[in-house]
Amino acid sequence: MEQRDFSFKKYAWQQFKKNKPALISLYILIALVFIALFAPIIANDQPLYCKYKGEAFYPAFSTLVNPSKLDSVINPETGLAEVLQFDITDWRKLDLEKVMWAPIPYSPDKGDRYNREYVSPFDEQRYKNSDNEIVAIPNRLRHIMGTDNIGRDLASGLIHGTRISLLVGVLAMGIASIIGVFLGALAGFFGDRNLLMPRSKYYFTLLGVFMAFFYGFGVRKYTLANAFTSGNGIWELVISLILIAAIIVGMRLLSRVFKFGWLAKEVSVPIDSFVSRGIEILNSIPRLILIITISAIFVRSIWLIMVIIGLTSWTGIARFTRAEFLRIRELEYVQASKSLGYSNFRAIAKHALPNALAPVFVSIAFGVASAILIESSLSFLGIGVPDDVVTWGSLLNLGRQEFEAWWLVMFPGFAIFLTITIYNLIGEGLRDALDPRLKS
Amino acid sequence: MLKYLAKRILIFIPTLLAISLLAFIISISAPADPVEKLSSSADKEGAANQQSNATKKTKQELRKKLGLDLPVFYFSFGSISDCDTLYRVADKDHSACLAELSHYYGNWEDVSSYFHQLNIAQLSHSKLILDYIFEMNKDAEGRPNYSKNEINDVITESNFEINSMLETANPNVIASKFSSLDTLYSNYAFLSPVKKEFEQSKLLYNDMLSKQSSWKSYIPKIIWYGSKNQYHFWLFGDGEQRKGVVRGDFGFSYIDSQPINTKIWSKVWISFSFSLLSVLFAYLVSIPLGIYSAYKKDTKFDRITSIVVFVLYSMPGFFIGVLLLYTFANPDTLRWFPVSGIQDPTLYDPSWSFFEKAAHRAPYFILPLITYTYSSFAFLSRIMRVGVIDVFGQDYIRTARAKGLGEGKVVMKHALRNSLLPIITVFANIFPLAIGGSVIIETIFTIPGMGFEIYSSILNSDYPMIVAVFTIIGFLTMIGYLVADILYAVVDPRISYK
Repeated sequence: MEQRDFSFKKYAWQQFKKNKPALISLYILIALVFIALFAPIIANDQPLYCKYKGEAFYPAFSTLVNPSKLDSVINPETGLAEVLQFDITDWRKLDLEKVMWAPIPYSPDKGDRYNREYVSPFDEQRYKNSDNEIVAIPNRLRHIMGTDNIGRDLASGLIHGTRISLLVGVLAMGIASIIGVFLGALAGFFGDRNLLMPRSKYYFTLLGVFMAFFYGFGVRKYTLANAFTSGNGIWELVISLILIAAIIVGMRLLSRVFKFGWLAKEVSVPIDSFVSRGIEILNSIPRLILIITISAIFVRSIWLIMVIIGLTSWTGIARFTRAEFLRIRELEYVQASKSLGYSNFRAIAKHALPNALAPVFVSIAFGVASAILIESSLSFLGIGVPDDVVTWGSLLNLGRQEFEAWWLVMFPGFAIFLTITIYNLIGEGLRDALDPRLKS
Repeated sequence: MLKYLAKRILIFIPTLLAISLLAFIISISAPADPVEKLSSSADKEGAANQQSNATKKTKQELRKKLGLDLPVFYFSFGSISDCDTLYRVADKDHSACLAELSHYYGNWEDVSSYFHQLNIAQLSHSKLILDYIFEMNKDAEGRPNYSKNEINDVITESNFEINSMLETANPNVIASKFSSLDTLYSNYAFLSPVKKEFEQSKLLYNDMLSKQSSWKSYIPKIIWYGSKNQYHFWLFGDGEQRKGVVRGDFGFSYIDSQPINTKIWSKVWISFSFSLLSVLFAYLVSIPLGIYSAYKKDTKFDRITSIVVFVLYSMPGFFIGVLLLYTFANPDTLRWFPVSGIQDPTLYDPSWSFFEKAAHRAPYFILPLITYTYSSFAFLSRIMRVGVIDVFGQDYIRTARAKGLGEGKVVMKHALRNSLLPIITVFANIFPLAIGGSVIIETIFTIPGMGFEIYSSILNSDYPMIVAVFTIIGFLTMIGYLVADILYAVVDPRISYK
């Protein structure tokens, strides 16, 4: 009975569960994802709910949909309308009848002008009440982790920084895994000799790649540049990518017409050499230096940083995938699928890939840790990340400049450390769970 | 072995070329204009109009000296609408504008004649002499029609508008500039010398629009430039002043026009000694630690060191560095070590002997070295422990024990040597890690090494410096790989490179 139910996924999950540190890390990661998803509700200087002059508002939620939402209330005494623009109204100044603040009632990018110049979490914090008197801050509104030089709340910054850190992990490693798995699988499965195609197809594909880049990026470069400055660059980029794919596929189809004589003869494509040399070159340059240099010449943007990290971090994944495919391509079931006449694509995607993914997952988990580390190093150095984006690294950098402000070093540093640790622990857990060979 | 080494070194060359090419591509796609940076003319925005012919000439000479008047590479990809001599245009903004215009309209001749005419229109502002205009524009009673200020403002405005037209290819912007200049010229008759040229350029613009052939930008073309290009000269020298990278000449820094060689070698030395020392320390600590905790596997000692090492492994380097500074170089807590630098400029004497220098610098080195060392140390101890545990399970260890060898001999003679293998393979990985990490550590501790240099040259867009550092680091890294390979063969007689 048990034998029938046995599946590798189940087995791996059971193994993973036995590893307590990894399991706890997974729970912490889920909590962090939760914090990241609900950051605008957890830390926001607008109330979650309030009642003002008899009308109910949900400012923190409304501004999620429309950042500069306008609303108005009628003052019952004077009968005049009072306009509220949600994002710039100082809700603390209003005479709210009922109010429910966010757990951390501050936004990461707005300074509290009464608590400027590095106010410690334990120091006396000031507050201006509705009678315009400066008093000690009510406990509910304390900056629980202190503030920075312009009075921004550290706790709020940390919570919103979680989003960026986790996003870096997901996006950068997403890009890196797609490139790494694709190239590694091709290199490992075909090697230097087994990717055979007619000369016509080979040459037309090379020509197609050239043409695709010419039409996708060369011809459209000004369209793309203009779109990026006006803000909808992603769409134009997607159009470019689709164009590129279409041209390459089209050229491959076209090559069938020319399949005669000398052009029809099959040649092998040294795909393994291409990929291995590429990995070698990329590995010869320290990654952090490469990323710093590339991000220095582009516009400062957190998205661009993620893409650059992704584009330069695929070598490890490609190496693992390649090694697995080298092993798997000799196994009986792949040989069987070949002798049954299945296409190479089917052999790779349906037979080899699912069996090669286990070590790749492990290297992705470790890769996420190092991507987060790189992003926080960059923002620590102040390279590539815009000044108004609050990240853990940029907070830590503020702490470096002011020796008094220990809280600006300890809390962000610990957040970075915690995230990296849990990813490393999850990676270790995955490695132990997914690789039964290590168990013996 | 020798044959293998020769082969490895041969592979070096294309890899190094690829790295230098990558660095070069990055440096030329940088937005900054080196000539503007080097020529200490007044800031570009304010003084663009008044740029005299003299400064233009110095800039031209500077471009020539830097080799910027040459094509970038041996060939370039483009469409048949692109101009193949665009690299001769001095101003970076102008050449970008020209490229965009020819991309849109496809007829290079018309584009260039329009642009040329616009340039003439801009130059014709020199014909407008303030005092002369002031004297000429007086009514019958000798009262001036315009004040000198007004005349000056109008000239500046016209100059500015034409100048900005030279930097835009957006048809809407150009149209609006045309109409605003039209009104300006019809209001102020004394601008007629400029107006004449301006009208001409307007005609040429419309001509360009009417004869546009934008299909041309859809036909690809490869332009061949030959060996007279920037990359070739950078690599092999131009046979005159520049010797080229292959002869160890990296050119000049954009910041202070100093030769990069003299600037960089002392810095390479600092960074190199830091990473070498740290790798040495890391091995010295982690090998015994790894062996001992593997030997005492599953004891309290092993578990505690494992946790400590894991925690250290996940600790970001900059966090450790800042924490160390906070604790040991902070007037509020402990002030054991200096905060920054590698020597005290008031005390340091270059005529000291090596040991005096070392003694003087030791306190400066301690905190950075700890930061440098700990990450590779954690990494190494983990690998070492796993390796030793693996070796302890092998048959030959059991044999050694069975034949009555003492524990010390079993560990030191049989286990150690075999467990060194994995730790040597990672030597190749640690080296680039140490150099890469140096950017952060040197920035935190303000050590004037390569890492800090690359950081500041990025902030100042000093691209020759970046390319030089890039290439040197790539070279050092590859040497690291090579050394690892050789060590591998030395330690393990089973491995031979044939």
